[in-house]
Amino acid sequence: MGDAYCSDCKRQTEVVFDHSAGDTVCSECGLVLESHSIDETSEWRTFANESADNDPVRVGGPTNPLLADGGLSTVIAKPNGASGEFLSSSLGRWQNRGSNPDRGLILAFKTIATMSDRLGLVATIKDRANEIYKRVEDQKSSRGRNQDALLAACLYIACRQEDKPRTVKEICSVANGATKKEIGRAKEYIVKQLGLETGQSVEMGTIHAGDFMRRFCSNLGMNNQAVKAAQEAVQKSEEFDIRRSPISIAAAVIYIITQLSEEKKPSLKDISGATGVAEGTIRNSYKDLYPHVLKIIPSWFAKEEDLKNLCSP
Amino acid sequence: MAARRNNPSGIVPTTQNIVSTVDLDCVLDLNHIALHSRNSEYFPKRFSAVIMRIKDPKTTALIFASGKMVCTGAKTEAQSKLAARKFARIIQKLGFPAKFRDFRIQNIVASCDVQFTIRLEKFACTSHGAFSTYEPELFPGLIYRMKQPKLVLLIFVSGNVVIAGAKKRDDFYTAFDNIYPVLAEFKK
Repeated sequence: MGDAYCSDCKRQTEVVFDHSAGDTVCSECGLVLESHSIDETSEWRTFANESADNDPVRVGGPTNPLLADGGLSTVIAKPNGASGEFLSSSLGRWQNRGSNPDRGLILAFKTIATMSDRLGLVATIKDRANEIYKRVEDQKSSRGRNQDALLAACLYIACRQEDKPRTVKEICSVANGATKKEIGRAKEYIVKQLGLETGQSVEMGTIHAGDFMRRFCSNLGMNNQAVKAAQEAVQKSEEFDIRRSPISIAAAVIYIITQLSEEKKPSLKDISGATGVAEGTIRNSYKDLYPHVLKIIPSWFAKEEDLKNLCSP
Repeated sequence: MAARRNNPSGIVPTTQNIVSTVDLDCVLDLNHIALHSRNSEYFPKRFSAVIMRIKDPKTTALIFASGKMVCTGAKTEAQSKLAARKFARIIQKLGFPAKFRDFRIQNIVASCDVQFTIRLEKFACTSHGAFSTYEPELFPGLIYRMKQPKLVLLIFVSGNVVIAGAKKRDDFYTAFDNIYPVLAEFKK
């Protein structure tokens, strides 16, 4: 019920809104002013804290500012293993043939999401990786590159920028088919492209062994004492002239700490699996660390006699 | 030839490899060259040039059908020119009207040792970080791309420095003069 201008009566008249037909009707002369009006109220009722999983108030996923239209379109998913169903698979085929400008982007984002799920990364890293990929794709020169390596490198850079670096070998393990070399090359390429685009704003600190300590230790199931001791040891080891990759030093320090602790000691093979460092490399890094072991291992963790008992390399 | 620079440290980089190109200015029959010379190899399916080697100076040349030649492996500029002339002579003796046009040195690689260990992580964090790339996982050396003169230096923890991309001897002397005080700052 409201007042509107009726063109037949040529004055403001009382107007009735008929909800069943969606008509706005003048009450004096019966003229239909507006028909098929769209009801913009809520489609269904929502009850508070019914199911925490899907909030019925909102529809669809979060808008993605990286995509052209904010990700509003609907995608027909391929059913799991039910490819015999003619109707759904052909629908999927017809949609894919449509001119969707973001198709490559959406596919790439999906791959990055899969990889980051496998590594257990937070959403911030995944979003940053998506952003990096979009920025690189905007400069069309990345056509002939290995897509898998490019996406893996985007993820690697995103992890680094968030100060939660992942070793290239870890990224290798979730990237299908990309080798360490290819990911390294793709990473250099992306850094160069981003540097060209926004004059040298790519900031990535060098990796330190301490960044990986927590993760490697928890993969091996070390107790808190050991983890703290390992972190301290790695900090101290940076002052000495040990010419090894930080990951190898981390692996060797873990080896020493676990040899010193009372609980079950992981074998070289276990440490190699958790860190990605080869067994021979751990042995060689142990040889390099051994002369400084007294100064590196904190005294509250192990006494001198224990250190003397450490097997000489 | 430029005179030796006076670097306060007294260290002078020594050349390790020189790559030069020269135009022989005539079309060559690579099959003929490969068949009639002992020290060459030619596999057209693998690479479309004859690879010829001479013992003195110990150098290798890539000889293309267009008459262009690339000479690598010499230790000094004079040796590179001499070697290129020797290769041109061989081609002449095989019956082609080879000339010696546009001899140009394309790349000089030099190395030196600054005699002290260097803290690479600190280097990459400072104002020189814009030019440096240090990824211990990928390569143990820091890759420094100098803008003026435009060349690349590989800096290692041991103190060894490799300078590549210079076209003239002066370039890498200047580069080393520029980088030495910076390295001294980050001595371990």
